[in-house]
Amino acid sequence: MRHVRGFDVMRPLSIGMLVFLMLPLVFLPLASIFIFGTSNGLDKFWAALTQPEAIFALELSMATSFWATVFNVVFGLFAAYVLSRYNFWGRNALIVTISLPTAIPTAVAGFALLLLWGPYGTLGRLLAPHGFQLMFTASAIILANIFVTFPLAFGVIKPVFDTMSHSLEEASATIGATRWQTFWHVTMPSLRGAIVSGALLTFARAVGEFGSTILVSGNLAGRTQTAPLYIFAKFNEGQIEAANAIAIVLALFSFLIFSVLFFARDWLDVD
Amino acid sequence: MAKAREQLIQTLEISQTDAEGPPAAARVVGLSKLFGKTSVLENISFEVAEGEVLVLLGASGSGKTTILRIIAGLEQPLNGKVILHGKDVTDLPARERGVGVIFQNYALFPKMSVEKNIGYGLRIRKRKRREIRETVDELVKLVQLEEHRKKYPSQLSGGQQQRVAIARTLAYKPEVLLFDEPFGALDTQTRSHLRREIRALLKKVKVPSIFITHDQEEALELGDRVAVLNQGHIEQIGSPYEIYSHPATEYVALFLGAANILEGVVRREWVEVGAAHLETSLDPAKFQQGDRVKIVFRPEDVVLSRRDLLLPGQQRIAPAVIEEIIFVGAYERIRLRLERDGAQSIMATRLKPETSGTRLHVGDRVVVAITSFTVLEPQKSTDDKK
Repeated sequence: MRHVRGFDVMRPLSIGMLVFLMLPLVFLPLASIFIFGTSNGLDKFWAALTQPEAIFALELSMATSFWATVFNVVFGLFAAYVLSRYNFWGRNALIVTISLPTAIPTAVAGFALLLLWGPYGTLGRLLAPHGFQLMFTASAIILANIFVTFPLAFGVIKPVFDTMSHSLEEASATIGATRWQTFWHVTMPSLRGAIVSGALLTFARAVGEFGSTILVSGNLAGRTQTAPLYIFAKFNEGQIEAANAIAIVLALFSFLIFSVLFFARDWLDVD
Repeated sequence: MAKAREQLIQTLEISQTDAEGPPAAARVVGLSKLFGKTSVLENISFEVAEGEVLVLLGASGSGKTTILRIIAGLEQPLNGKVILHGKDVTDLPARERGVGVIFQNYALFPKMSVEKNIGYGLRIRKRKRREIRETVDELVKLVQLEEHRKKYPSQLSGGQQQRVAIARTLAYKPEVLLFDEPFGALDTQTRSHLRREIRALLKKVKVPSIFITHDQEEALELGDRVAVLNQGHIEQIGSPYEIYSHPATEYVALFLGAANILEGVVRREWVEVGAAHLETSLDPAKFQQGDRVKIVFRPEDVVLSRRDLLLPGQQRIAPAVIEEIIFVGAYERIRLRLERDGAQSIMATRLKPETSGTRLHVGDRVVVAITSFTVLEPQKSTDDKK
């Protein structure tokens, strides 16, 4: 390492290099959303944003992501509890299976759901005559969201379970607590941080989901069109401003979530 | 096999006749336990009286933690019973036994303040808020944590955490307190300080307690009685003085600090050890003339005399040569080699007044005498195990 009169030359050089590399890859694309979206004035932006279809798309995204998050956090908690407390044959296979959905391309995930629940699908074929049609509804979007975000909350919660001292639960039992009381008063507080960050991760990922959603939702404007689908549709129709307005909202939203995750880490893990 | 059954029947009979008196605070009868195919406990029976402190002393793997966990209800025995204040709790789950366990790492709830930790037992019992507050007030005072009551466990020292753990169990008035190696995680200085503190505290609250430890000094200091465990069975149970001065087995003798062991033969009124005749009165029910026995004596029971002049009460063993002298502060430790066949070495200690009176040097020839000794019952320990 070259030093010029006690000054480490590598320091500014390497930091400069890092920023320079990130510029075209991350910073500039993000910046252009904001520059382009607001270039025609804020009132144009606002008008694009308050289109009924745009508002519907945002609301649908929030609602479907919310339910997928609720399900996956509760499921992740349960799965983490079972898989870290009990040792049984096939335990590792289950852990791998839970983690698998992250590795599956989202389009494949959507396609798989269609093949199961679609009108001609394995299960859908049996249900269709009874007027039960899951695909191309909001429920289909929730199912797709659950599938692609399946391991996220689990992945954050399980390590906390693993490192949690079993003697806390034993202590609580000898003090006289039921299993439920122990879970609620002793186990849960230690999981608070993991649950919040698992939920935020799941939600952020679900809000942005595109590949599986476009297959299972049918992409019907005002009915099953989520925010990312809206961006894609408006872009195809050449309505760049309409697409851009939603893009700004989604980008800001993910900034918000990741700032919470980043800055609230200390709060989430107060000991 | 038949013998084992006989023994079991015997202990059961004893326990039944014992039950006539006031019930002990806690008793275990004939506990045994297997882990896989290895037996970790064999026919363990003992009891703890009201207000008494019993220490289970044993090396790691002796089964002491398993006994504690069985009493607490965290582990099930294969055979045997746990009886708390006359009530058989063997089949009750941990939460219905009302025992207080002080875990080795204290197991304080990290997200609860000191107050919340202490009040936990009453909160889950749905007691009135006023009652909980009064009990917590009383207990933080008792364990001297008034100014720390709002703090979280991670902000407390090891000793303070331990006091919270004790207060947390005292809050619901436990039938018995169980301490799992409570000083294991602390440095030597804090240990001895806390030991005195806890002993004083237990004398104050008078809750019968069982400690487990592998530290013999701790056992002697804390226990009203001490049970020495070895590979899943109790070698001896008695007062600290008894087990230290009159060990029943070689294992107990060696486990409780340095011990010298010599072989001898039982005669009418004495034990013959080499050329020496050590006078003693032995129970004729346990010893017969001609039995080959071992005698045990502590290094501090050894007297070294340069001129072969012995005082009354000192019994001559043999001349010996000093091989090594180590100064260890309060006393000096001397290794000697006996001048007789076998040429066994003997450890002796001398306190300061003595060391400054007569100086001894490596190579000096002295006469070894002892002031007290114990004769171990012949082959007792091996017989019992089979």
